[in-house]
Amino acid sequence: MSVVAPAKTRAGVAVEGIAVLTGWGQGIQALPADAARAAAGRAVISLPRPELEGERFRRATRECLLGVAVVDTLLREHHIARDTVRGSATALIYVTGGAYGASNHAWVAADTARPAEPDDRSGERRRSVSGTLHFPYTAPSVMSGEVAIEFGLTGPYGILIGGAAATIDGLWQATVLLAAGRCERALVLAVETFEDCAELYARGRWLVKRPLVEAAACVLLTAGGLRTRYDAPQAPSALEARVRARAGETLACAPLIALALAREDSATGPIGVTGEWRGRRAGLYWH
Amino acid sequence: MPGATLLRAEPVSLVAAGAVTPFGADLDAFWSGLVTGSDGISAIERFPVHDLRVGRGGEIKKLRPLPGARRVSCRATQLLLAAAEDLLARAPIYAEPERIAVVLGTALGGVGELERAMAPGGRPRHAVDALYDSPAHALARRLGARGPVMTVAAACAAGATALGTGADLLRADVVDVVIAGGYDALCRFVMRGFDALRSLTRERVRPFDRRRSGLLLGEAAALVLMTREGAVPGPRLGRLLGHASASDGSHIAAPDANGRGLELAARTALDEAGLTAADVDFVSAHGTGTLVNDRIEADVLRRVLGRRASEIPVNSIKGSLGHTMGAAAALEAVMCLMAGRDGIVPKTLGLEEPDPVCELDHVIGAPRAARPRISLSTSLGFGGCNAALVLEAVDP
Repeated sequence: MSVVAPAKTRAGVAVEGIAVLTGWGQGIQALPADAARAAAGRAVISLPRPELEGERFRRATRECLLGVAVVDTLLREHHIARDTVRGSATALIYVTGGAYGASNHAWVAADTARPAEPDDRSGERRRSVSGTLHFPYTAPSVMSGEVAIEFGLTGPYGILIGGAAATIDGLWQATVLLAAGRCERALVLAVETFEDCAELYARGRWLVKRPLVEAAACVLLTAGGLRTRYDAPQAPSALEARVRARAGETLACAPLIALALAREDSATGPIGVTGEWRGRRAGLYWH
Repeated sequence: MPGATLLRAEPVSLVAAGAVTPFGADLDAFWSGLVTGSDGISAIERFPVHDLRVGRGGEIKKLRPLPGARRVSCRATQLLLAAAEDLLARAPIYAEPERIAVVLGTALGGVGELERAMAPGGRPRHAVDALYDSPAHALARRLGARGPVMTVAAACAAGATALGTGADLLRADVVDVVIAGGYDALCRFVMRGFDALRSLTRERVRPFDRRRSGLLLGEAAALVLMTREGAVPGPRLGRLLGHASASDGSHIAAPDANGRGLELAARTALDEAGLTAADVDFVSAHGTGTLVNDRIEADVLRRVLGRRASEIPVNSIKGSLGHTMGAAAALEAVMCLMAGRDGIVPKTLGLEEPDPVCELDHVIGAPRAARPRISLSTSLGFGGCNAALVLEAVDP
């Protein structure tokens, strides 16, 4: 009996494509020079619900549609056929700080709007408010599940909760999956929505800054020549500071926006992205 | 924190575990409850359920007060900290704070706090505790851990995925110690949800039984202390040899009709462990007691185990504790290792008349005297999440 794992290792990653949607518009070219100034006092810069065709999307939540829309954007902008990513060779890593908030908030609101009455034993009234379709969408894994269904992704998954530091963790997970040969491509996806829970975020200003900018971003990684270092820097990278200034608070999407900005700069040297959440800063360096 | 990305794909030690379950406040209560065939299901008392079709579940009735801790209002965090106390009593953590990671699986995070925040007269500040990663950060603070703090939200497969992620952190030398596991607390939020889905049984949970009619939910927290092989002297529970996950990509709330994702996860985990079905001594099944899940899972296990499917004992502990969601896979992993340690495999409580379509070598009626060395543990969750762990018990 062998207990030695197969030595399927490849060094490094390559970035095959990045896509960004924010409340400011599509792509990083839509980002203002100064998000705070551009927000003009608005607490939340919202993204509209994407118009996607198909019966399945009629009941899906806005955050699910944003995830699907940004992955579709990546594939179209980089001329990658859907068949290229379909199947078990593509891993999906999904990260969010709070995109599940809207569905969770709605599910609780449907209950608290009608306090339980002792004689309401059948529960029929309440079920009419909270249908069976809504509850599964409260799970963050259903957001990535919808993306997996739409694009036929049946490889390994990672679903991480947290802000920008969690996305750094997710990027690291993707490099691990690629290096171990557990996948040929890794799609790292982040989605953040705030509008539906704006009043709750207003209470957590110590945790999130303003303006809150809704966003969806993804990066497709493959095996390649970029070596990875994953660590815990004390200070934000220049890119982290630049994303905050230009995009505003995009939580888990920020490191992916940073990668897009680095690409815009035609960076050929090392790329360092950092992200902070709840006092922990993580960093990922590709060199 | 020097980083490296090349996995050495080495086994990872599971040094010790801690747990809080409906059976009691520690790991010993969990194990003795399983071995003695206890029933952890009871009427839910902590929040209103009178308007739901089903008001029973695996509720933890009493938690030990946390020594030296300031008052914690979040139930999920309470469970986690209680499990951590149990773990620390068994194995102190020796590592630099920056080299300690916390990786936890959950289906619900602290969502019970959102209910409190939005209740009439509720305090909106509770909403921050409702973030799904709040309990993990609370645990990291409690442990003084300053390495990665990860919350894996892969629904009911989250505990398994968290243990796998923890193993990856160790293999890549990102940290020296990982506290990994899973948790979830019962609350109206989730009870209403599964009640609306008509997934809850009004009878008892009967995994793989011809009379099975649904699941019941439970609450628990389970943690394991993980290190690289040989890093900590002294006894240990066992080793994690392989892990894998796979998406179904077919439905948001039901498993793939052919169980393709679960099969891929199980085969890949065995592959990573360098093992085959011929090496497997025991299977801890997800076994929720729902009509579709159990049939699909049994099909997958027969395919993966091949001709040995009829001779490898299989159990599910969800008849005993309910489906503890994010905690389930972590508890099941610990159960596998304790079965190997003590030479006894707990029975599947509630299973009396195996469904012919779920034919496997189920542990029925009484615990079985067996000392499984290699175990396969399978898990499924909303969103089409599937995960598998391959574990090795140590010689007693």
